[in-house]
Amino acid sequence: MSDSYVIIGDGIAGASAAETLREEAPDAEITVLTDEGESLYNRILIKEYAKGKLPEAPISIHQEDWYDDHDVDLRLNTVVVDIDVENDAVHTHDGETFEYDSLLLAIGGTPQQLPVENADADGIHHFWTFQDARNIKESVEGAETGVIVGAGLLGIDFAAICGAQDVEAKYLMRGDNWWRYALSEEGAEIMHEAMRERGVEPVFGSGVDHFEVDDDGRVEAAVDPNGERHECDFAGVAIGLNFNTELVEDTPLALDDGIVVDEFMRTDIDNVFAAGDITTFNDLILGERAKNGSWGSAKEQGTIAARNMVEYGSEAFEWVSSYSITHFDFPFLSFGHPTLGEDSVEATTADGEWRRVALKDGKVVGGVLIGDLSPQSAFKQLMREGRDVSDQTDALMEPGFSVDDLAAPTEQ
Amino acid sequence: MSLRDTGRRVRLRRTGRIPSDAGVRHYDELSDDEQGVVRELAGEPWTAPEIGELDDGDVVKFTDYYLIRSR
Repeated sequence: MSDSYVIIGDGIAGASAAETLREEAPDAEITVLTDEGESLYNRILIKEYAKGKLPEAPISIHQEDWYDDHDVDLRLNTVVVDIDVENDAVHTHDGETFEYDSLLLAIGGTPQQLPVENADADGIHHFWTFQDARNIKESVEGAETGVIVGAGLLGIDFAAICGAQDVEAKYLMRGDNWWRYALSEEGAEIMHEAMRERGVEPVFGSGVDHFEVDDDGRVEAAVDPNGERHECDFAGVAIGLNFNTELVEDTPLALDDGIVVDEFMRTDIDNVFAAGDITTFNDLILGERAKNGSWGSAKEQGTIAARNMVEYGSEAFEWVSSYSITHFDFPFLSFGHPTLGEDSVEATTADGEWRRVALKDGKVVGGVLIGDLSPQSAFKQLMREGRDVSDQTDALMEPGFSVDDLAAPTEQ
Repeated sequence: MSLRDTGRRVRLRRTGRIPSDAGVRHYDELSDDEQGVVRELAGEPWTAPEIGELDDGDVVKFTDYYLIRSR
């Protein structure tokens, strides 16, 4: 009898796991359950669709016939309501039961709603799925004024969407600059200026106290904690994700801001694995538990999880992630864990070019590059090697930096 | 390593129109080598050896949309 694998989630983590399982276990039964109504699509490109820059078709990655061709049983619109880890079974909303030899949880997260009055009004959007992108596109195309909340990597997508769709917008930030946990004011100002050029005005020391709505329940303004009223007929909120752990809260699985897995993507139950945004994983490079929400990381975690579902211990997850912003006429890239570390170095390396590198115990753990991405491979290499650069941090800020510019590592 | 010894060279041409049947990938989906070539060629009239999975007619989203031309 062949092994049976059940995967919950058809995002890039779940789909890459299905693909790898089919390669590694040609005779296995593979079932993918997803609550979405469409199969795998390119989550990185849905913002381009919302901007009106890209048609729908190129965003789809797996047509449904991909699953037939790979003998994968895909169940769309299927909500898992219970996971019975004692009896190796999952139960769905329509009463079906799927038994498994090995289970993968690629169940991701759900955007957080602002805990303020009228936060669920018409015209207020969160951005996670392709259907969200369709709703945003339709809404923003009819809008004249917008408000954006959430000064991070997801919020800036809303700023770019408003800019591309000619919506005059206010970007309300609690602090003094965008993504203040990773950028100083000097670096962030490059991003602020790019927003302003597109008709999006950053507002600092702000946020949302409540939304005002019209008689039809549609948003018409955001009022910030200072009492300032910002008119809007479109609002985008991107303040973070709630990880979808409620499904496993009644199981013995360890939770810590997500599902805890080891470097092989296995939970503390031998035949239950997890991959993608939902995991809090043992980061071998960082030397501690970490989370990562990037596309590349989720794809790799799905692949690694699948290999270890077939043969536990076969391959560890060891990955330096990166995430770029390509909305402007200059590139932006964050890598590793730019908000961690106890020390950092930063510099403006040329007009419009800025970088910051975060350090922990003298080693690079992450950073941000604006304008010039050429050193990204070198910084990632230093992270993978765990090289102590504490006495050579000036070299990291040199234009054209490469690993060869550092003195050879000495034997410890 | 994803360099292919095909003797062909690629260039990137900025494009504003994305056909529905185009294969479109974002910079974040590319390998390190592919990203390096995209950074080098984007907005420049230069060519580089054909790389990885980037095929003639593909489109890459970087700071703009770029059509891959391979000759």
